[in-house]
Amino acid sequence: MATTFVPKPLRGFVIPVLIVVTWWAAVRFGWSTSPLLIAPGKVWQTAVEQVASGHVFSALAASLRRDLIGFAIGAFGGLVFGAALGASRLFEKLAGPSFHTLKQISLFAWIPLLSVWFGLGDAAKVAFLSLAAFFPVVLNTFEGIRSVPADLLEVARVLKFNRVQTWAKVILPAASPSIFAGIHLGLIYAWLATLGAEYLLVSGEGIGNTMIDGREHFLMDLVLFGVIVVGLVGFSLNWIASRIEARALAWRGRSVAQF
Amino acid sequence: MKRDLLITADGIAPPSLAPQLHASPVGAALKTQATRWPRLPDWLLAWPLPLAVLAVWTLAAHFEWVAPQVLPAPEAVALTFKESLLSGELWANLQISLLRVLAGFSVGLVGGLALGVAMGLSPTFKDYVYPTFKAFAQVPVLGWLPLLMLLVGIDEALKIILISKAALVPITLNTYKGIQGVPTRYIEVARVLEFTRWQMLSKVVFPAALAPIWNGVRYGLTHAWLALVVVELLASSEGLGYMIVYGRQLFQLDVVLAAVVVVGAVGYALDKLLALAERRLLGWRKEAF
Amino acid sequence: MSERHLTRRRALQLLTAGATGSAVGLPALAAADPAARTIRIGVAQPAIGSPPGFGGSSIAIAHAKGWFEDEFKADGIQVEWFFFKGAGPAVNEALTNNQLDFTVQGDLPAIIAKSAGLKTRLVVANGVRSNIYIGVPPDSPLKTVADLRGKRVSLFRGTNMHLPALRLLEAHGLTEKDLKILNLDTAGYLTALSTKDIDAAIGSMDILRLRDKGQVRVLYSSKNDSPIFTRQGHVLVTDRFAEANPQLVQRVVNVAVRTAKWSSDEANREEVLRLWARAGTPFEHWKEDYAGEPLRVRLNPNFDPFLVGRYKDAIEQAQRFKLSRAKFDAAPWIDTRYLQAALREQKLENFWPVYQANGKILGA
Repeated sequence: MATTFVPKPLRGFVIPVLIVVTWWAAVRFGWSTSPLLIAPGKVWQTAVEQVASGHVFSALAASLRRDLIGFAIGAFGGLVFGAALGASRLFEKLAGPSFHTLKQISLFAWIPLLSVWFGLGDAAKVAFLSLAAFFPVVLNTFEGIRSVPADLLEVARVLKFNRVQTWAKVILPAASPSIFAGIHLGLIYAWLATLGAEYLLVSGEGIGNTMIDGREHFLMDLVLFGVIVVGLVGFSLNWIASRIEARALAWRGRSVAQF
Repeated sequence: MKRDLLITADGIAPPSLAPQLHASPVGAALKTQATRWPRLPDWLLAWPLPLAVLAVWTLAAHFEWVAPQVLPAPEAVALTFKESLLSGELWANLQISLLRVLAGFSVGLVGGLALGVAMGLSPTFKDYVYPTFKAFAQVPVLGWLPLLMLLVGIDEALKIILISKAALVPITLNTYKGIQGVPTRYIEVARVLEFTRWQMLSKVVFPAALAPIWNGVRYGLTHAWLALVVVELLASSEGLGYMIVYGRQLFQLDVVLAAVVVVGAVGYALDKLLALAERRLLGWRKEAF
Repeated sequence: MSERHLTRRRALQLLTAGATGSAVGLPALAAADPAARTIRIGVAQPAIGSPPGFGGSSIAIAHAKGWFEDEFKADGIQVEWFFFKGAGPAVNEALTNNQLDFTVQGDLPAIIAKSAGLKTRLVVANGVRSNIYIGVPPDSPLKTVADLRGKRVSLFRGTNMHLPALRLLEAHGLTEKDLKILNLDTAGYLTALSTKDIDAAIGSMDILRLRDKGQVRVLYSSKNDSPIFTRQGHVLVTDRFAEANPQLVQRVVNVAVRTAKWSSDEANREEVLRLWARAGTPFEHWKEDYAGEPLRVRLNPNFDPFLVGRYKDAIEQAQRFKLSRAKFDAAPWIDTRYLQAALREQKLENFWPVYQANGKILGA
């Protein structure tokens, strides 16, 4: 019944609208006396306040700055290390097992160690974020390089490419979808790690801290606002990464069977 | 040899480094390089790096190149490890962490599979649910933590919910995309063979989607373990994360390191277990290639 | 030929210029303290309020009134304050990385750091005899400390709350293992108490805030008990900084003593409590916590026999409760030279009461 009732493009909005309506009704008709139940309008009010006072922007700026610096360091290091693993059998045998072992250590377990090794200040956080981005980038770069199909390498051999040419014209382009996937994943992990770092390490400003403060003072509206902002940032980062990926890989055309 | 790398906006299954990579063309091309070196067995080559690190660590600790609070000597860590193992403390905490992750992961697995299958098989359901789900998935697990703390407090419920959310998102997405990504030719063949709906599902769709689904499951477990460590670091009275906090508060970095080693070992074991299961479940698939 | 002469002459000229320059410059360099252009002070509390500050000690007053900054302004030396939500343990992490010169901490974290090998020395007592409170949800069946057995109790581990809590438990026949201890910071345990996530919290007077809202009942307060169950604190300086800048350390101690004197003056009681209240804990609670005692008992910068005894006990107990790794001698750790000099200079040797190790005032 509902299938023909609601036109296709609007279907996605049904559930969110229902949620907001139920929420509003719960507040309006007092279905729950919990102090945590605040009206949707209040969240909007807080949002406006935060934007107007610029708080949210400075908090976001602080979080994002750390995020991007850490991500850049981790991604760059990851590319180098992953390429080394892919390029040299020997290096892979020497460093590979150690790397795979270290990567099994759940990311956040590193935090207390980093905290003692770097003390206060942004160094610990940036180190943590680099670590977060490092692992996925290495894995995907390595995988991408090793998955280059035999035929392409045959062609390179036939055309008598030297080392550099093989790399620049064959291996890297063939590996690029995987490499970009790795970078994309690194970005996701780095954002996740940014939030975690704010909860667990001594910090200044940040959107994670805004939410923690909200929680400590029982300001549900602030916490919800923070959640929405975090979601928006996550979405934007994903979207930007996808766009860049699409652009960079556009030359591949619409490949079907293989990446 | 091709792995189905599913890129979704919110969850990518990291490829497992299956042995066939070593047999890949690039690997073969590099073999010529490898033969220049003396033929040492692989397992032997794995050791020089960690042993070197251990050596530097021991020297650094003994000569105090770094303060001992920052870098306890390896013997100290080993001793602490042995002590906590013998006293049963380590095992008790490990058990609790494992139980939590198992519980949370199971919830996330069941929910994720159900949701993913529903979205994959029913376009109508997908139309209604997918956008909301996507929005919900944009917020990383940790973004939900303060909100959940307010709503359910800091008891077991918080941990289970967070862990299941961590597992649910990648499993759902990969299941959905896996089902969606079943090549149309397979469906056509099934239709030509006049398969019933049930036959189509069990003989064509699910086997074809199994690889991406499995990737999602692996990713979900990694994420679940990650979420567990975080939430135990923040609010727990037992578990491995709690051990780490305890060590940190008392400035006993050897306790922290011992617990971190165990966290890594468990992560490794979980991953290996899944790889084993994968080989059994998907073994038939590889042979076809 | 002429070129070489020129070169040689030029060289001689430059040499002489250099020599005179260094002859003038070097003494100037030696006179100034090469190390310190900034003094970094770490406080084991978060900074709250506007303007952000903390409370509970005379150093808090000095911070609020900017007296350290005033003292060093003329020499162009900056004073940087760092606040740590993670309290003592977090301060230790910064200390390990040489990111702080002075810290305002409690006894246990400093003991842990010292026994782990950090080279520090105590210079001034600060925030002594702070009370601990145990709060429970209002409808809780728990009545005494002994009832805590087997319950979920929060305790901020590694801070100066830890030892008095353990002593209290021991006095009632309990050990840490008899309880399910959660490690939560102040904001954490206040939240957890009000949502009833824990059965009890061993904490500071911030618990009174929830009592006024009816969300907590105070099960125990060390105010009505022996001073052995109170928390002690101090200001310490790293050996590194002290060896490089003894005059600066002396001046810091001078300011601390001056502030302690001002804060101990009953005429200033209202202002002291109000300044502390700016950091979030209400004025009435400070009044309540400090009621019945003269200010100078708690705002006492001296390491009198009682306090030294407390620290000796703390070192021994920390090791016994497996909180620290090694015992060490308290006497050389407490460097009272700066304090004595400041007291002599400001003629305050007899201003504060001296308590003996048994807790009784001297002459009683």
